[in-house]
Amino acid sequence: MESAFTYTESELVQGLKAKDQKVFGYLYDRYSPALYGVALKVLNDESNANDVLQEVFLKIWRNIDRYDESKGRLFTWMLNITRNSAIDTLRSKAHKMDQKIQDIGDDVHLYTGNLTVHPSVDHLGLSKVLEKLTKEQRIIIDLAYYKGCTQEEISKVLEIPLGTVKTRMRNAIIQLRNLLKLV
Amino acid sequence: MDASRFISSGLIEAYVSGLATSNEIEELERGMAQYPEVRAAVDDCQLDMEQYVTLQAKTPKPEVKQNILRIIADEETAKENGTYVEETAIAFPNEEKVYVSSAWRWIAAAVFVALLGSLYMNYIYSGQINDYKGRYEALLSSQNSMASESNLYRTRLEQMEASMNIVKSPSMKAVKMSGTKPFPTALATVYWNQQSKEVFVMVNNLPEPAADKQYQLWAIVGGKPVDMGVFETGNKDELLHKMKSIDNAEMFAITLENKGGSPSPTLDQMYVAGKAS
Repeated sequence: MESAFTYTESELVQGLKAKDQKVFGYLYDRYSPALYGVALKVLNDESNANDVLQEVFLKIWRNIDRYDESKGRLFTWMLNITRNSAIDTLRSKAHKMDQKIQDIGDDVHLYTGNLTVHPSVDHLGLSKVLEKLTKEQRIIIDLAYYKGCTQEEISKVLEIPLGTVKTRMRNAIIQLRNLLKLV
Repeated sequence: MDASRFISSGLIEAYVSGLATSNEIEELERGMAQYPEVRAAVDDCQLDMEQYVTLQAKTPKPEVKQNILRIIADEETAKENGTYVEETAIAFPNEEKVYVSSAWRWIAAAVFVALLGSLYMNYIYSGQINDYKGRYEALLSSQNSMASESNLYRTRLEQMEASMNIVKSPSMKAVKMSGTKPFPTALATVYWNQQSKEVFVMVNNLPEPAADKQYQLWAIVGGKPVDMGVFETGNKDELLHKMKSIDNAEMFAITLENKGGSPSPTLDQMYVAGKAS
């Protein structure tokens, strides 16, 4: 089903706005693994993640007119839709923060370095990055990005003062970005 | 805040990681509009975050794509036919008050209760169906393993039947070969068809040879050993091993030889021997 040719981002957007189903198929093939990866990280459940992925691509198709190229790239827009949808689903399934933390704890492949569950992942790249982040750095990024935790929630979970959450996040992301340069 | 304060404040990282509050988002977006370097810093940070996210990509099930493409194709067809109903139209029904007769209200309530009941039953039955599916799969796999086991038994049975048919022949002569002094418990039998001159050997009790060794049957004709061929003892289903044919022999004996057999028997490795007449 992979398309043999590629589109530029503006061609993609034009095609989508013109409701070209072939372009949409290409968009799916190109971006669904990344978006599915996000949904899966948020929900930690393949069946829920598949549902969210379907919902996300229908939203993209139906709401492409709301996408404003001057505000950011298409991928960023799609990522935000995916994160929001997945986090909404996560909240509707378990509003309690305990549950979110439970999920982080269950997400063992991230925190024990066992990466075999991600067959399509560039193992070397990801594990290189994850090894060099401290556990707290990984958790603080994932709690915010994948679980949608607020600063207050993170302060409670990691037992750090509310005022230092942003500083810790900044350090974690700076470290992450340095590591990504090495990948 | 000036541009460098924005960049060092941690606001950009909070924004990109999704940690920023709505006030912080507004503040940063003003900064982005005001200072191109802030905007560039946010874009860079976002690109890196996206790289991190992409590292964790995973291919979804292929059915999802089929589902989505089917749904949008249906929607497009419906739009062309003018039967498409906007989702928002469903989400916000008009709130005009409509008065309904009480009979209809009771019916509606009853229908609603029935619907709830049906949903509940759906839930229950879907659980049961999953349960049955699991059991069905377990049965299927045990059925498969039984089928392959039964094939195994059938082959064994056929092999034994073939051996029985050979032994049953009235012109078959059995020559019992008892263990020699060094191997008193060894025992083997030669079945020698007096008409066709075919010779078969049956192992009653011989130790399993080392990997580089093989048993060899000998016929003694006119006081001299004649090679009758080597045989394997590993396959227990194969009762009779067909050896070389011979017209007449005074004795039969088995020795343990190097794999492939020897031109003359190693006498101290003679396990069994028996007189043919």
